[in-house]
Amino acid sequence: MNGDAVRIAGLGVRFFLQYEKGPGRDGAPSLVRRRGRRELWALRGLDLAIGKGEIFGVIGANGAGKSTLLKVLAGIFPPTEGAIAVDGKLAPFIELGAAFNPELTGAENVFLTGSIYRVPRREIKANFNRIVEFAELRNFIDTPVKNYSSGMFVRLAFSSILFFRPDILLVDEVFSVGDEAFQQKSFEKVVAFKASGATVIIVSHDSGLVGRICDRALVLDQGKMSFLGPAGEAVEHYHGLLMEGKGLATGERPGRLTDGAPSTPLSQSHITRRAESGGGDVGASSGPVLSTAVESAADITADPRRWGNKLVRITSVKFFGPDGKERFEFRTGEPFEARIAYDSKLGPEPPVFGVAFNTIYRLLIHGPNTLAAPAMGEYKPSGTVRFIVPRLPLLPGDYLFSASSYDKTLQTAYDHHEQMYHFRVAGRNEGEFGCVRIDARWEFGAP
Amino acid sequence: MGTRIRELFAFRDFLRNMIVTELKLRYRDSVLGFLWTVLNPLFFLLILAAVFSKILRVQVPNYTIFLLSGLTSWLMIQQTVVIATASIVGNQGFIKKIYVPKIVFPLASVLARYVDHLLLTLVLFGFMAANRMPATWGLLALVPVILMHFFFSFGLALIAAVLYVRIKDIQHILGILFQALFYATPILYAADQLPAGFRVIFRFNPLTYFVVCFRAPVYAGSFPPLKDFLIALGLTAVVFTVGLIVFYRHEREFVFHLT
Repeated sequence: MNGDAVRIAGLGVRFFLQYEKGPGRDGAPSLVRRRGRRELWALRGLDLAIGKGEIFGVIGANGAGKSTLLKVLAGIFPPTEGAIAVDGKLAPFIELGAAFNPELTGAENVFLTGSIYRVPRREIKANFNRIVEFAELRNFIDTPVKNYSSGMFVRLAFSSILFFRPDILLVDEVFSVGDEAFQQKSFEKVVAFKASGATVIIVSHDSGLVGRICDRALVLDQGKMSFLGPAGEAVEHYHGLLMEGKGLATGERPGRLTDGAPSTPLSQSHITRRAESGGGDVGASSGPVLSTAVESAADITADPRRWGNKLVRITSVKFFGPDGKERFEFRTGEPFEARIAYDSKLGPEPPVFGVAFNTIYRLLIHGPNTLAAPAMGEYKPSGTVRFIVPRLPLLPGDYLFSASSYDKTLQTAYDHHEQMYHFRVAGRNEGEFGCVRIDARWEFGAP
Repeated sequence: MGTRIRELFAFRDFLRNMIVTELKLRYRDSVLGFLWTVLNPLFFLLILAAVFSKILRVQVPNYTIFLLSGLTSWLMIQQTVVIATASIVGNQGFIKKIYVPKIVFPLASVLARYVDHLLLTLVLFGFMAANRMPATWGLLALVPVILMHFFFSFGLALIAAVLYVRIKDIQHILGILFQALFYATPILYAADQLPAGFRVIFRFNPLTYFVVCFRAPVYAGSFPPLKDFLIALGLTAVVFTVGLIVFYRHEREFVFHLT
């Protein structure tokens, strides 16, 4: 395999969705092949090689096949077609603590996990103290893991895998493990890994992280390779896809157009389509019908991000720039407007409207509503309410947006769309860090 | 096949940990814990012995030993298979998240069971000593006989585990099947104690041969009858091979059927 850690040729993974549909469907003899509309190729035609010591990123929208690829690499799913070759010991950092038995103590679980990675017992013993120290669990290592808090659990899992010196690390959004200090420690350890020649494969929604850390990256789009190359360019390509309406923040994918069809113009953007499919309205957009059960293996049930009794229904959420045109990408300091179209079955009194801005890691930045800051203008039972930001203080990155309507006591939700919308703030962080720019200036002076 | 054996060898620590874990956890929270593995069949035996020798008056000398030896052999197969059936489904947490050679799970289950069975065999020897039964050379035959039991039950367990992934009814079906077979096996009574017509059933029941081979050295102090031994050997070879083939053929699909 020469210098390659991972080599993938013509890889395809196919699922038959009805297997996931519960009782009444199984029991069919395995001699019978199922084909047809229920078939889903989560990955198809993947060809790539990842060199040893590389930090390689995989990005793509929800349902694009990232986690399926991870699982194939980890040996959990067998390829339906094509082949995958892995040279070296591969440790998945996904689903930390998968091997942990809650009835066993922390110490016993460390040995159990080590044996899964085929680490000889004496090597586990030799590293044992360091593992416990790193996880900061000296006092708890001999109690059953079922008594651990989730933080402790995850620290121990993370720590044990780190010390078993895998050749290839598969990392998946896992830097949200433990508290700040622990995250920092872990991040440093992973970087040290890379320095010692290990290969790191990162799968993430955070295109910024991937762009910053990775050497090369793969962009997956609906199970196919969309771009493979230097990380920076991959990220650009990915953002290009987002602009075409293959949005990020949904569990659904936009309806599948036939191959080669032109991408939809922004006036019929994915944002519109999502809101309408959620509510089931007849809307302006006549895009392809979303049949979520078939289109995405990840989303079989109704969208859990939306709830409410629908007495005041939010029919669409769109973002606009200073020129009055609908936009998806903004710049720091620019005027920004979110326009929420609604339809009320209640009387002449306006409900309370609220919005929220979250970072891609779901951190809540600001969640104002019209109770605290009443809206100007004349309310009509059917119309739009606009959230106007004269100067958008958000720094470059991806953001998630929520919109909701509530009663005056904020107890009853009429229609709540939680982090269902996505927009980007473009540009690079030039010497500024964080997600918000606080309006301020610096000044030298006498004490 | 060679790669699979090498792979399994690479995972030997994991296999050992799985077995040790199961044994450890069994008695961790209970008082009698490990003792139950012996007490359960013992009580079953005592009740059966009481009913069949005192009440129904089955005329067999040393009936307790007769019964216990047959029972030990029976349990070696029945218990092993029934419990190992759920070994894949029961470990779906592992299978869906980490790569291990799946055969580790039924193998660990079966090996853990055999620890119990060997314990019970020791108890059986205890009974023999108590009844002043001599230790003969025939007892050496128990080694290959027990090995046959192991591979036969392991093969069955593999097939059952594969079926159970798709068809949950298997566990019930197996339970009922064994229930019925229990009475078609010469455990409670010797073959020649039943009317001639019924003896045929014994001949068609594969488990008969195992029980007969096990009981001969223990109860009669002799080597197992050659014919029965060879039949049991043949059955073992077939079932074990089929089990391996079926298991490895379907191994890759498990993950798609586990919720």
